[in-house]
Amino acid sequence: MLRRVLAVLLVVAPLACVHGSIEELDGVAGAPDPSSTGKVEEQFAPAPPVVPRLTAQQHHNALVDLLRGPVPVAQLEADTAPYLFTSIGAATTTVSERGVSQSEDAALSAARAVFADPKRRDALVGCEPDDACARSFITGFARRAFRRPVDAEEAERWVAIGKKVAPGNAWLAIEMSVAGILQAPSFLYRLELGKPDPSRPGWNRLDAYELASRISFLLWSSVPDEELLNAATTGELEKDDVLSKEIDRMLDDPRARPALMAFHKQWLDLKDLDALQRDPAKHPDARPGFGASMRGEIERLLDDVTLEDRDFRDLFDRRTTWVDANLAALYRLDATPAAGMWERVVLPSDGPRAGLLTTAGFLAVNAHPEVTSPTRRGKFVRERLLCEYVPPPPDDVATDLDKESKAGTPKTQREKLEVHRTNPTCAGCHKFVDPIGLGFEDFDSMGVHRTMEQDKPVDARGELDGIHFTGGKALGKLLRDDTRTTACVARQLFRFATGRLENQTEEPAMIALGKSFSASGYKFRALIHALVRSDAFRYALEVKP
Amino acid sequence: MKLDRRTVLRGMLGGAACALGLPLLDAMRSDCGTALADGLPLPKRFGVFFWANGLPWHGAHGHPDKPDLWTPATTGAGYNPSQLLEPLRGIHDRVSVITGLEPHTEVPPIPDGQGDGHMRGAAVALSSDRCRSEGFHHPSHVFAFNRPTLDQVIATTPSFVAPAGAGSQPRFKSIELGVSRALFHPYGHWMAISHAGPDKLNQPITSAADLWRHLFGVPTDTALLERRAGLLDAVSDDAKRLSSKLGVKDRERLDAHFSHLSELQKRLRATTAACKVPAAPAGRSEDLKTELELQTRLLAVALQCDLTRVFSMMFTSPASNHVFSNLGVGAGMHQVCHDGNYNAVKAITTYHMQSLRIFLDVLASTQDIDGMSLLDTSVVLATSEYGEGYKHHPKEHPVLLCGRARGALKTGQHVRIPGGNLSRVHLTILRALGIDAKSYGFNGGATTEVLPGLV
Repeated sequence: MLRRVLAVLLVVAPLACVHGSIEELDGVAGAPDPSSTGKVEEQFAPAPPVVPRLTAQQHHNALVDLLRGPVPVAQLEADTAPYLFTSIGAATTTVSERGVSQSEDAALSAARAVFADPKRRDALVGCEPDDACARSFITGFARRAFRRPVDAEEAERWVAIGKKVAPGNAWLAIEMSVAGILQAPSFLYRLELGKPDPSRPGWNRLDAYELASRISFLLWSSVPDEELLNAATTGELEKDDVLSKEIDRMLDDPRARPALMAFHKQWLDLKDLDALQRDPAKHPDARPGFGASMRGEIERLLDDVTLEDRDFRDLFDRRTTWVDANLAALYRLDATPAAGMWERVVLPSDGPRAGLLTTAGFLAVNAHPEVTSPTRRGKFVRERLLCEYVPPPPDDVATDLDKESKAGTPKTQREKLEVHRTNPTCAGCHKFVDPIGLGFEDFDSMGVHRTMEQDKPVDARGELDGIHFTGGKALGKLLRDDTRTTACVARQLFRFATGRLENQTEEPAMIALGKSFSASGYKFRALIHALVRSDAFRYALEVKP
Repeated sequence: MKLDRRTVLRGMLGGAACALGLPLLDAMRSDCGTALADGLPLPKRFGVFFWANGLPWHGAHGHPDKPDLWTPATTGAGYNPSQLLEPLRGIHDRVSVITGLEPHTEVPPIPDGQGDGHMRGAAVALSSDRCRSEGFHHPSHVFAFNRPTLDQVIATTPSFVAPAGAGSQPRFKSIELGVSRALFHPYGHWMAISHAGPDKLNQPITSAADLWRHLFGVPTDTALLERRAGLLDAVSDDAKRLSSKLGVKDRERLDAHFSHLSELQKRLRATTAACKVPAAPAGRSEDLKTELELQTRLLAVALQCDLTRVFSMMFTSPASNHVFSNLGVGAGMHQVCHDGNYNAVKAITTYHMQSLRIFLDVLASTQDIDGMSLLDTSVVLATSEYGEGYKHHPKEHPVLLCGRARGALKTGQHVRIPGGNLSRVHLTILRALGIDAKSYGFNGGATTEVLPGLV
């Protein structure tokens, strides 16, 4: 049977159908992710390592941290995001010639920005630019940029090249050394290959520096700071209590918030919200900036369950949320936030909304401009929240649906999708996604609550694996109590952190991660601690060059 | 560039009877159309113009109620442009229309989804190969190209870019351009139509201002350029050291990085060619046609000075969800196709052809180094990803071969081969460019046959 992994939303919609029933597909649809033989290995074994480049965000943050201040935002080769995450794209693609030229440009402009300003330069370098100064500064700078010890010989090479290309100009020589280091593959690529573990032949364990680097790119989207590197140098970082303290320190740093938001954004497709288009003539709630408002709400909900000491599952059913003027109007609330301001509100207990799945953002981004897409909404739940596999549509399938009944009356979306249920070609897969999505029919394609569709009362009955529910709010409660949801969060975070899909042999570690999350009372911080301690995070197969 | 007196003389004499080209390059030329002064053949050029989501569907795709508005009524020379080809009228004697072709590459049954029109069609139209099947483990088709696209094959063919005896080669191996920034997903294969190999995207430059910087924004401070070039010694050294620690696949990535550094170093040290540097555009225009024309004008200057010989223009990206609100279409194009919105797709196709016309007009009105128009020295393959986007049908893949390749390619023809192998287009192009290829196409797509009557 095939190896399957989590899907990204396919924006053909309604999703077409597969030939054959689920039975014929040998249980593929709905198999756990990654569904392979379906057999879970009992013994963990590590996966081959990958070597990600820095993503655009990591690259920029690292320059800012290394140069202690703002640098021009460089044009870099755009990240790709296969399997949802830019880290996976960064680990699989080969940089283009233009991409290399862009990193060269970025390194030079960043160095220039600092060295053109004597105050900034002096503060960064910290000594008069004689030979000894250059050597000590470059040794420290390269260590931080490369996230590893830099011996005298390597430091000397960087000092020497600066002097060679800028003879007789000590400051310029240091600037050029810096510009060289900032475009060196040792800076641009993350080599977290580990060192042989004598107790487990063939396995490499991350050394303290590599561990520091991997944690730092996860929690800060940037290079480690001096404190973390020093903990690596002394070996203290390998001690559980020190590691815990460092993780907490980093999570409390302002850099953690945007770094973890990058995870959520990619996992949940939040970036697509800004580009969302709706015709204001058909959707009076499509006020200017509505996409950004929708993103703003979801980001606030996520922030609240990520870094605050809160049960992550609240994301799915909590009535507390944040609205700006656009959303207050769309949700028909009395709140009247001033332009550009956000207000924390508690949604009415007898209202239709609570949690992520009833946010206008989720509902609108998983819909067509003018009609809902139960298929997309259901697919999002299956793939992103439950980490389950939905097979692709067959080739050359018609995906348009009859818009009218035989009598010529307009059909509701539920009626249009009837063909997915009755046509056996379609039913195999669609019975796996549509019933979930149909439960959201109480919200239109803009995420506005509705009670009527095509002059008929809305029918928002849905079903998740045999459990019946009505309305998006009720599904939120079901997902909250479903351990597949929380195990899926852990799996997605692992992929984001390591820049690859989990290997089948790492499945025991994935299961353990889900259990740790649960044992902690679903605290996201605890999940991060568990992830960093996980063998899947710490070990890789030995590389044979 | 240094020219000896005899070369200069011969060039000047030869040039006297021709249309005016660029002064310095004029001096290299021996006559008006056969060779440079040093006996090397005059350069030919290759480009791709890509548009998204194919054409409106018709009978050949299982929709007998819809007429074929694309295929010209007659075959052979002197076709009359069809309704959808109408925007090319007036220049259509320099365009051949190839109809009836489709991918012949195999479609492995496992994992499923590999027959999908977007991916199979784009891969074959651009690389004559099927896509990598391992990507299909991913249900949303993280497929990737299996080999370099044709533009990159040509750009790395030594006899094409730098024949033996040539003193230098073009400053850029190739130039990748794009206009619409709308993407289906941020996956590699939707982000670029030029690939140097699997997972090796050449992402397009999508603003004329960036293109200008890339082509002409070379600092005049030669001391700075030399410093930058010198610095790359240490950077390359670092690349080599890292590479030795890696497994095969990652070592290849680092080695590619290393060779890009060498190219960059060469470029920093090379003086620029004798280009009349055009004015820098202010920025990007959100009107696709305006942006296209701005970019193409700069590209034409680059070709004219032989800064490059290979180019590609991704006007709209494969499976694009670009919203053509200017045409009154409210949803993304990919969606519009799936919704079966025939009139919208027809309007968008006409818009795509009008855009191709702009692209060709700029090439036709700009002289190559010998005074011949760029369109007459080039081959431009204009194509899309499949026949039509309603059901992703592979039949009747749209192909236009524009330009005369310095007389090696016959134009103004309509060649019709129902069910014919799409890879024949690539073989024909290679032959027209003077690149020796007995066959082309992979994994079921191989062919030894060129398109009849064109080369």
